[in-house]
Formats: sequence, structure tokens, C-alpha cells
Amino acid sequence: MRGVATKYERDNIDTDVIIPGTYLKVHDHAELARHAMEGIDPDFHSRMEGRSILVAGRNFGCGSSREHAPIALAGCGVRAVLAPSFARIFYRNCVDGAYLLPVEVGQEAYESISDGDELEVDMAARRVRNLTRGEEHEIAPVPEIISGIIEAGGLFRYRVPE
Amino acid sequence: MTGDGAPRTLFGKVWDAHTVDTRDDGAALLYIDRHLVHEVTSPQAFEGLRQSGRRVRRPGLTTATMDHNVPTGDRSLPMADDTSAAQMRALERNCAEFGIELHGMGSASQGIVHVIGPELGLTLPGSTIVCGDSHTATHGAFGALAMGIGTSEVEHVLATQALWLERPEEMLVRMDGSLGSSRAITPKDAILSVIREIGPAGARGAAIEYAGSAISEMSMEGRMTVCNMSIEAGARAGMVAPDEKTFAHVRDRPRTPRNIDALVESWRETLFTDAGAERDREHAIDVSRIAPQVSWGTDPGMTCDITEAIPTPAEFSRGDESRRAAAERALEYIGLEAGTPMEDVRPDRVFVGSCTNARLGDLREAAAAVRGRRVADGVRAMVVPGSQEVKRLAEAEGLDRDFVGAGFEWRESGCSMCLGMNEDVLGPGERCASTSNRNFEGRQGARGRTHLMSPVMAAAAAIAGHLVDVRGWELAEAV
Repeated sequence: MRGVATKYERDNIDTDVIIPGTYLKVHDHAELARHAMEGIDPDFHSRMEGRSILVAGRNFGCGSSREHAPIALAGCGVRAVLAPSFARIFYRNCVDGAYLLPVEVGQEAYESISDGDELEVDMAARRVRNLTRGEEHEIAPVPEIISGIIEAGGLFRYRVPE
Repeated sequence: MTGDGAPRTLFGKVWDAHTVDTRDDGAALLYIDRHLVHEVTSPQAFEGLRQSGRRVRRPGLTTATMDHNVPTGDRSLPMADDTSAAQMRALERNCAEFGIELHGMGSASQGIVHVIGPELGLTLPGSTIVCGDSHTATHGAFGALAMGIGTSEVEHVLATQALWLERPEEMLVRMDGSLGSSRAITPKDAILSVIREIGPAGARGAAIEYAGSAISEMSMEGRMTVCNMSIEAGARAGMVAPDEKTFAHVRDRPRTPRNIDALVESWRETLFTDAGAERDREHAIDVSRIAPQVSWGTDPGMTCDITEAIPTPAEFSRGDESRRAAAERALEYIGLEAGTPMEDVRPDRVFVGSCTNARLGDLREAAAAVRGRRVADGVRAMVVPGSQEVKRLAEAEGLDRDFVGAGFEWRESGCSMCLGMNEDVLGPGERCASTSNRNFEGRQGARGRTHLMSPVMAAAAAIAGHLVDVRGWELAEAV
């Protein structure tokens, strides 16, 4: 997949920031999307127009188990989040529901990407190509069970290989 | 159980005993003994079952309650919030349709999911427990492997009673020394002090086992407080090997298994870490040396001693630019300057509650600081018991009279102001001394400011009108 990146230089972006608790009563995905990242950027929804990749610091998605978090981001057109590390429940929620791809990259790769860069994420080759800068970065190895779920298109489609 | 004789950890034994299938990378399909459900993370899961024509595989192993958005005021009144009411009706409908036991809002056994599990005797040593809530690790205090999961996984467990999980790394957190008998330093201070040292990602993805003399000394409630906050260091689970205190706690509960004697015997023989078993990571603290902890920033790692001043971003950074920037943003959000003594911080609100600190022992600790005293002018203080059972027991001891007499609100049980889903929220800019678990931006209400601390410290702050070192206080005798 290819897309333009929006970057927040910040570690530990938590799920209360991604989607505040007051919206956990909301089931409409479009409505959830309108409040995505409200905590740090009230204009997030419009900032993602024409963009599909979110880049952020370490331990992205820490805190609550709310699956509303990846749903809200996906509703804003986010198809991949690149970060040096992810909180585990958030990471699993992204792939279990097949909302978006959590992509673990090195700290240096994270630091080298700027807001507005065009990126190409190639999970098969485990590479992120920065088309704006002509740079290429490695994606951290993905556990077999996770790549299985990603390839299947979500937890409910996953079948144990024969 | 594998029989090759290699030493295993408590976690490893519980994991192995529940493994249905494994993958080469160590991931396992784990059988789930107990699934706890609440109104907020379950509606889409039930809807998914309905759409795919599936049933709940083991309704008898599934237990539901309403906690996240229930009102904590007068429950004889109609609900003010339509969307909350709709979510609660949906849970009622789902439980009726799928045959699941529900401890609903009007029930005498309603309460926060992580309070009622142990209270009812549903939380058992050596079992696997999941819930669509990140504080599920609480149940690990009993030697259970308890993990928070998302809604897709909730649906998967409802449908199959099993879940594919990556095998987590293991971490030992030793709490040595003693918290002492003063009641001023509590398990909350011990776990905050660990998170302060290792940070909000310090145990990321790991299963923690807590051990050491301070853990052995701790009450079951204290161990629950410690395990509860494992997620605030990024852990998947937190566990304590069960001992005689654990076994005593699980006896004579409404749902204690009939073969409890045989179970206790087998738990005693198996549920501990073998000598020589290895972990991936280790961290140790001496709790004899800690002071009451209070958070000053916007993640639980941004915490210091009550006697300290707020660190400068440079001091907090430990040479890491990202930590420095985080501290700067946190200070701006929290509306305080570096160098401010923590005892000068003045809360507008005080919240004693949450799955971290709303059990009977927590309320006793808090009451000891308020008995015969008055809440300071300008402070609004509330106590939200963790369950209806906690509320009843506290009232039987007269704790409600201590709180109400001092000017606290004494409310109905639920998650309440921990996460700001019901009417109990901070206004913009309001500052709260809170016994909950997260001081994230907006957690207790948009632009609200949270300082995490123990129940006795929060109660004392309500009385003093500012954060205060409770070690200098005369605490009322236990009733």
C-alpha cells in the first residue's frame, strides 16, 4: 500500500487520546471517526484527507482495550500506523478486526519520516519505502500468528494451516 | 502438563495447562475458563454472533455486569443519558437471548467487573480469565492468567471459548521489604513506584509475576491493586502465586466450586514458579524505602514522592529527548510548573473509586483519614464503592457515615469518574485527586486533570485541600 503520512512526534499516544471514553457509547463508525485523535488534534479528521498513513512514537495505543480506537482511525482513512512499538491490545485489535495495519519500524526510521512524506508499505518484503526521500526502512518481523491473521483478513477468517 | 521436568514459571504452568493447539512461534490456542462481559465492549460482539448465526459456546462460563456507564446517583430516577441507557438495554437483551447470567444495574451483586469476579468466587487460581477491559489483570492476584482483550476477541471467545494468543515474554517484579503497619504507604504506592521506574512501556507485552516479601505480606485486595495496574506498564498480565490467603479468599463465596478442598490441594501442589525457572526480564524494588506516590503528569510513569517537587523536563528526560518533550506537554496540560512542591497542588475534586481502589479495604483506608474531619472548602469529594456488596459491607461498618459526616458524597457502584463515561466527569481545567489508574489527557473528562494516588492520600487531600503527606497524620483506628 502507498500513502501520504501524517506524523505526531510523541510517544505513548494512548487510547483515551485516540478516542475519549465519552464516545464509547457510539456505534456509528463515521461518528467515531469525527472524534478520532480529538485529544491531541481536533482537526485530525480533515488533516487525514487524501492521506492514509499515521506515524507516531513508541508504545502507540497504550491504555484501554477499546476496539473503538482502530475503528475511529480507520474511519478517517488510516490504513496503516507506523510506530517503533505498539501496545499489545491495540496491536491485536488492529489485526483482529482487519481495520488497519500496525507496522513496527525502527526508531531511526520513525525519526527520518516527516509529515507529508509519501510512503510505500510492503509487508511481504518487510520494507517501508519513503518515496519522498528515497529512503528504505526495514519492518520488524511479524509473529507468525499475527501475519496469519492479517493475511486471512481478521481473526474470524483465520484458519490453522494444515 | 508437560512432563520433561524442566523448571517452569507459574505463568508457564497455567499457559501450558490451557493450551489446545500451538504454532511453531509459540502462539497458542488457549482455552478460556471464565469470560467476563460488560456493556461497553460487548454489543458489537453479540451483533457479530447474530449476523453469523453463531451461539455462545459456553454460556455457563460467561458472566456479565453493567459498570462502565451506569449512573452512580439515585438509581430510582430515569437514566439521564439515552445512549448509556441503550447500551445497558442491549446488554440485557443480549444476555437474555444468549443465556448469560447478568448482574445488571438493579442487582444486589452489580459492580465493577473486576470487583465482582473475586467477590462472587468466579476468579479462581490457575484459571484463564478474559474480559473486554484492559484492567483484567486484576484477577491475576489469585494466580489466574487474566488478560484484557478487544471486542473481536470477545466475539471469538463467546463463539469458541478459546483464543489464539502470542506467547508473551515473562517478567519478574520483586517487591522486597515491607510496607509497614502505618497504613500511610500502600500497595498503590508500591505499584506506582514500579511504573515510575520502568515507565508506561516498561513491561510492554509481558506477563508479570509479582513476588517478594511485600507481596506475601499484602492482603488479597492489595495484590489486586498491584496486578490491576500491570497494564499501566504495558503488561498483558500480572500474576501472584496463590497462598493460604488466596485459598481462604476463594472459599465460601456464592460461586465457590463444590470440590474446593480438592482444588485447593492441587493448587497448593502446582501453582508456583519452580526453582530455577527463567524469565526474560526482571525488576526489583524495596518497598520499605518508598514514600506515598502522587502523579504529576499525563501518564502513570510521571509520578514522584509527595515530599518532592515536580521535576523539570530535563530531570525527567534521563537524557531522552522524547521524554523531555512529553514532560513539557504534560506540564502544560496539567497546568503546573516544574519545581512546584507536590504538597502545593490543590484539587477541585477527589475521587475514591475504580477497579484499582474501591474494595472494602480501600474504603477503610480512606475512611481512616476522614473520620471526625471535614472536607476542605471548595473541594467536591466522592466515594464510589466498587460493588453493591462493597457498599453494603462498608455501610455495615459505618464507613458511609464517616464519609458523609466529613462532607463526601456516598454513591452507587460503578466505574464512574475513572473513565468519564457517565455523568461523573471533571469539567475543563478541573483538577482531581484520584484513586484510579490513568492520568491520561481527557481520561476523566475533556481537559480534566488527574493526580493518581492511594485511597488514604486522596482522602487526606480532600480534608487538607491540597495534596498532603499522610505519614504525618493521625489515622483513625480500624473499626
